[in-house]
Amino acid sequence: MANLSIIDKLKRSKILDLLQEGKRIDDRALDEPRPLVIDTGVIPHANGSARARLGDTEVVSGIKVQPDKPFPDMGDKGIFICTAEILPLAHPSAETGPPQPNVIEIARVVDRGIRESGMIDLSQMVLQKDKSVIGVFADNVVTDHDGNLFDACSYAAVAAIITSKIPKWEMKDDKPVLIEDQASDTPITTIPISVTMGLIGEFIIVDPNLDEWECLDARITITTNSDGNIVALQKGGSDGFSLEQLVKCAELSIAIGKKIRDIIKQATEGSK
Amino acid sequence: MGGRETDVVLLDENGIRSDGRKVNETRKVTIKVGVLKNADGSAYIEFGGNKILAGVFGPRDVHPKHMSNPDTGILRVRYHMEPFSVSERKNPAPSRREIEISKVLKEALEPAVILEKFPRTAIDVYLEVLQADGGTRCAALDAASVALADAGIPMRDMVCSCAAGKAADALILDVNNEEDQAGQADMPIGYMPNLGKITLLQLDGVLTTDEFKKCIELGIEGCKQVYEIQKNALREKYFSSGDNN
Amino acid sequence: MKKLESKKRYVLPGDFITTAPLRLQDNVVLEGKRVISTTIGLSDVSADSVRVISLNGIYMPKIDDLVIGTIQSIFGNSWFADINSCYQGMLLGQDVFGRGSYPTTSEMKERLDKGDIIFARIANSDRQREPLISIADKNLGKIDSGELIKIPPTKIPRLIGKHGSMIQTIEASTNATITVGQNGFIVVSCDETNGLLKALAAIRMIDEQAHLVDLTDKVKKMLEFNGV
Repeated sequence: MANLSIIDKLKRSKILDLLQEGKRIDDRALDEPRPLVIDTGVIPHANGSARARLGDTEVVSGIKVQPDKPFPDMGDKGIFICTAEILPLAHPSAETGPPQPNVIEIARVVDRGIRESGMIDLSQMVLQKDKSVIGVFADNVVTDHDGNLFDACSYAAVAAIITSKIPKWEMKDDKPVLIEDQASDTPITTIPISVTMGLIGEFIIVDPNLDEWECLDARITITTNSDGNIVALQKGGSDGFSLEQLVKCAELSIAIGKKIRDIIKQATEGSK
Repeated sequence: MGGRETDVVLLDENGIRSDGRKVNETRKVTIKVGVLKNADGSAYIEFGGNKILAGVFGPRDVHPKHMSNPDTGILRVRYHMEPFSVSERKNPAPSRREIEISKVLKEALEPAVILEKFPRTAIDVYLEVLQADGGTRCAALDAASVALADAGIPMRDMVCSCAAGKAADALILDVNNEEDQAGQADMPIGYMPNLGKITLLQLDGVLTTDEFKKCIELGIEGCKQVYEIQKNALREKYFSSGDNN
Repeated sequence: MKKLESKKRYVLPGDFITTAPLRLQDNVVLEGKRVISTTIGLSDVSADSVRVISLNGIYMPKIDDLVIGTIQSIFGNSWFADINSCYQGMLLGQDVFGRGSYPTTSEMKERLDKGDIIFARIANSDRQREPLISIADKNLGKIDSGELIKIPPTKIPRLIGKHGSMIQTIEASTNATITVGQNGFIVVSCDETNGLLKALAAIRMIDEQAHLVDLTDKVKKMLEFNGV
């Protein structure tokens, strides 16, 4: 089990006591995520943006789209890169400096969830094969930390991508030239939704807040696409899941994923 | 500083600037106080197209211990721009420009904060630029001051900030992005309005001594206008009943 | 805006209060001849002194304050407690084991261990080191049971009420025992879960609505409504 501070020891036993009665410290059901609020277009100068509030966790995602060189073995596909940063103002223990392994993990899990689902049709983002492609950068910054940054960052990034505009470039003398006022919608094929669940004792809880997060034995993030198929998985934490527990988590992620997908669809409808 | 070629008319024959303002007008400024749950104090400012979030923690323990001062608290300021805040995506790592601005803003706030009251501690001010549109350091300073007040950090005075400058041979208040690129001078000013002290002053460009004096006076007028907005934002959170604190 | 008693005025940092040569108390500084507020709050000018009652800010230890702390560590012959401030409270082993004693770490752990909650008095506060706390008095010491919660220290006077009236109202109506630290920590213990939850709700209400004039009535109403 992870290294707990003094207060945490009391908190963990309190959380476990409540779980025995089917309750959580913030009155949610075990399979209930916190309320999700999405605002889009919060950074008008960027190509796309969204702010996600998952309970008291808040993430701002900004999308920048610009011409770039393709990856060496993928000259026929555009580039998609996701980053994440916990801003020092998000939590008293957040530090400045290069990203720690836990933050890098968040960025890469969010990245894979979006990439593996094929959400952005990267084959439509090529300007000149092997030479010049369109790069989409999703930079996620956490402004308030109350746990489950995996899902909060993912929801913000997905909403920002859906509402992004891709500018038009034409190749002139082997260089991409911007054609003003001809931006188009991002080519979206599916909407990936991640759902993170934690394990405390034998109990599975959905969308752990920070107090719960610090007491988890293990956690899993499952990303599903609009067809209800699983496109990405990441298990974390120092303990393990049984097979039954994993199957239960998969079912939860599909059911809850559907509801969250509807919330994001509604929030992004207006801006298209 | 600019002097760059531009098609944009910086000042037309009616004395109207490229964004429709008169020479002594600032852009629209709005400030919200207490926008973050975890920070001890916070503020969000929109200054023209600038969107900046300020968060304060402290006074709190200093790590590593050797950085603390036995006689007084220390002030630490970090000014940072998000990758999506500027037109060409910026690398998340701190640039030399951000490091310099962090230092300049710290020295603009230090005269105001009563650090002697908290020996062996630090007060941390984090400024995050979500969207940049010319004059970010002034807007960041305005937000920082409000966030410090929101955190209950004792101060001798608030610090308000605005830039003045010169474009198309005229002295202008609150230099926007285009005027910064193509104009003749840009002078950000930080000011303690009750004590009458200038705590931030930089200049990019060329001014005669007479222009310099007039430019500071113009800038101080702008600072005072922002001060009113800072005060109203704090009053709205703390002094109006019927709202949840 | 809330109607203020005369002579009290809402002030912000840097605001001018008076030029009268009064004794300076909390949250004011003298700039030349002018007394200036250093925080957001209510200026309070009396016949011989001037202060600002701050509406926010962390707890700063003052001698003889009664505070609640949680033991964080044992080092040398002292316990160190979180007292909701930027400084930890230092409780000397001698305070508990007697003057001239040198208790071992395990002896100290047995008396008070990490996570234990204590009701203590600020015994000394000098700039060079952490404030000293003491549990030597009769009604001080380890708090064995109850919920530990926290509200901004600036709201504590409201929670206590005039001559303790507010806190007594809550205790009487819920049968809870409420120990209030001037540093913002509060311990609530009650034999019945219902009474405990009501008391916690009353405290939360005071935290969220401390600025309202009719708060006492609202709290009374809330306590009565949920049934005895």
